[in-house]
Amino acid sequence: MSIVDLPTTRRGFLRTTAAVSGGVIAGGGLWSSCSNDDSSGGGKPKTLNMLYATVEANSEAVKGVLGDYGKEFGIRLNMDTIPYDALQQKVFSELAAQSSNYDVMIVDTPWMPAIVGKIEPLGAYIKNAKVNDKAKVDTEDFIPKVFYDTAVYDAKQSHVHFPDSEGPPDVDGIRAKNFDIYGLPIQANALTMSYRTDLFDDAKEKAAFKSQTGKDLAVPATWDDFTAVSKFFTRPDQKLWGSTLMAGVGDWSTDDFKTLLASYGGDGHLVTDDFKIAFNTPEGVEALTYYTDLINSDKVTPPGTTSASWDTVTNTFGSGLTAMGFNYHNMALKPNVEGAVSYATVPKKVQEGPHFGTWMLSIPKTAKNKDWAYRTIAWLTSSDVQSKMLSKQLHPTRVSVYDRAASDAAVKKAFGNFYEVLGKSLEVGVGRARLTNYGDVSNAVAVAVNKAATGSQSPKDALASAAGETENALKQAGYL
Amino acid sequence: MAPAVAILAALTIAPAVYLLYSSFFDFTLLGTTPRQYTGFDNYQFVFTDGTVRHDLLITLAFVAIAVSLEMVLGLLIAVPLARRTLSNSIASTLLLVPFAMTPAVSALIWRQLLDPNFGWIDYYAGKLGVMGSPVEWLSHSSTAWVALVGLDVWQWTPFVALVLIAGLQGVDEEPRQAAAVDGATRWQQFRYVTLPLLMPFIAIALLLRVVEAFKTFATVNVLTGGGPGRSTELINLTIYRVALQDFSIGSAAALGVVFLILLLLIVPQILRLVTRHTDVLEAR
Repeated sequence: MSIVDLPTTRRGFLRTTAAVSGGVIAGGGLWSSCSNDDSSGGGKPKTLNMLYATVEANSEAVKGVLGDYGKEFGIRLNMDTIPYDALQQKVFSELAAQSSNYDVMIVDTPWMPAIVGKIEPLGAYIKNAKVNDKAKVDTEDFIPKVFYDTAVYDAKQSHVHFPDSEGPPDVDGIRAKNFDIYGLPIQANALTMSYRTDLFDDAKEKAAFKSQTGKDLAVPATWDDFTAVSKFFTRPDQKLWGSTLMAGVGDWSTDDFKTLLASYGGDGHLVTDDFKIAFNTPEGVEALTYYTDLINSDKVTPPGTTSASWDTVTNTFGSGLTAMGFNYHNMALKPNVEGAVSYATVPKKVQEGPHFGTWMLSIPKTAKNKDWAYRTIAWLTSSDVQSKMLSKQLHPTRVSVYDRAASDAAVKKAFGNFYEVLGKSLEVGVGRARLTNYGDVSNAVAVAVNKAATGSQSPKDALASAAGETENALKQAGYL
Repeated sequence: MAPAVAILAALTIAPAVYLLYSSFFDFTLLGTTPRQYTGFDNYQFVFTDGTVRHDLLITLAFVAIAVSLEMVLGLLIAVPLARRTLSNSIASTLLLVPFAMTPAVSALIWRQLLDPNFGWIDYYAGKLGVMGSPVEWLSHSSTAWVALVGLDVWQWTPFVALVLIAGLQGVDEEPRQAAAVDGATRWQQFRYVTLPLLMPFIAIALLLRVVEAFKTFATVNVLTGGGPGRSTELINLTIYRVALQDFSIGSAAALGVVFLILLLLIVPQILRLVTRHTDVLEAR
């Protein structure tokens, strides 16, 4: 039909539009089925589709091994990368629609309590030798805390953590307690400290610190030392402050606080598995008081700290405004700033407990090519492949990869001691409460931290308000 | 007529009815728990939750302040730019820039400009001696409000101005000239002749701005995230968290219904107030 033959009546137009639309839909469906034409009956598909994050889970590192994947599997792995906020909605809507668009999905830890029923349990796959032909899954090699916190759930009680998160993950032991494995961890982020070695190693600075405090200048291992060192480096007239903090309203201020809460001896999960509020406690008040004193009394943080997030902190530290800083990744100085950076674990009070959170690769229950999806995630999270991704700064989830990083001169040259510090931090890290509305709890705590940091409420009152809001949120979600 | 009504019903009435229906149930988008009828429980949450009440009041205040400023400033800009000259044409074209920009991008730019360590605003204000030390704009309630309202006014005043410029250019010159012949001052000509004739355009601009201002989300999410504390937490941030982070659809639907009713109550009142003078004029 040429353009001059197009119908000009309304009915004709509607009929043509319907025909064209139908054709497009049918054609799309046909194309779609052709593109995965080997998928029926568990056969090897030509393509697999994976939904992934962006910088949050280091998509570049994964993209870097897709060529190897193609050679190994003879399958094209299509990788859709979506930024964090939109990613959660995409994952949830795909699962809600029971779509089979994606064979593999990346999942962030706080989402799991809500979606565990929609995710394929992997225990049976891990025990099935037939689908473990491409990579050795070796669950015992995963960092235990990371693995249990991220991947191990009881689908009937998604709020409960696995009772023992210290021992090497063992599939039979996990399944014996009615838990299962719902994904394989690929990128683990923990709060670590970055510091300026050019300042800490400077002879004049060392002498000045010794004369001021009577102690040697060293990277602080305790919060008391941290205060002393921060005060020493705080020189607003030189545009230098002790440290960054992330006290703006957002998950980051909650993470700052829960790290301190754990290190002061409290429960960094914020809410216990039996729904007790764990932050409105003497340890919580003490931790938040210390945090706000750093900002308001000691004034060791630069302007803008009470509206800072993780990305503004990266900019502040990178611009050379602080001697130390905390973040989920290895912060570096900008090219125009002279100096050098090294890394350390977050200081402690009575114990260590940096916040951590891990991304894992999971398979939707409605995926078409589950066996091949499993082979894919087992391969992507394997020790060898994670080791290859180190050069692109993947934050690995396996003990063996951290061991390799420690002995790899190229990795040490590129990233210094970051992987050593990250590995140690993950071993002692503290995750989140398992709640379908953890976002509400996190928001209530973030607001409390921010109110205390800006001085609009005392730490005690702010935490009491947050506890009230958290209780309402728990009731609203049906937990209480 | 019938297809148009059907499309309108499908696009507006059907979603509204489904929203209302959903608000009486407890369920998540994922369908992992059975949909449960809960009566007015979700509404009880909306009306008794302190945070929701606070956010609604904050939203009303934001809309009132921001839109009032935009209407006044828009009119002040429109009057001199209404004359058809080359320079006015260029200026009118430039007015498109702020509201043509994506809200999230403009918020990011403002965030950079207001950074107390690197931002141009503190830097140049300090250079000019306007401020002694850097202002932490987003760390205090009052300055965060200035920033948030300032961003909205910067972005949307040009829109108001363009609507009013179009209105002013369409106003018949004869009544104003007749008033001038009768000895009316320039202010009297504007106040008693031009302004009443402009009222339909003011009503359109006001209506569109009020509705849009109630929908503000991206700018506040990026610029302040609702902080410091909850001082700039507009209701849309809460709806977003409940609907698209918790996926608690029943609660979010109840919030949406209350918000919709609020808009349906407010908008006609505003329109009635603004168009009252126009009706009188037309009646004569």
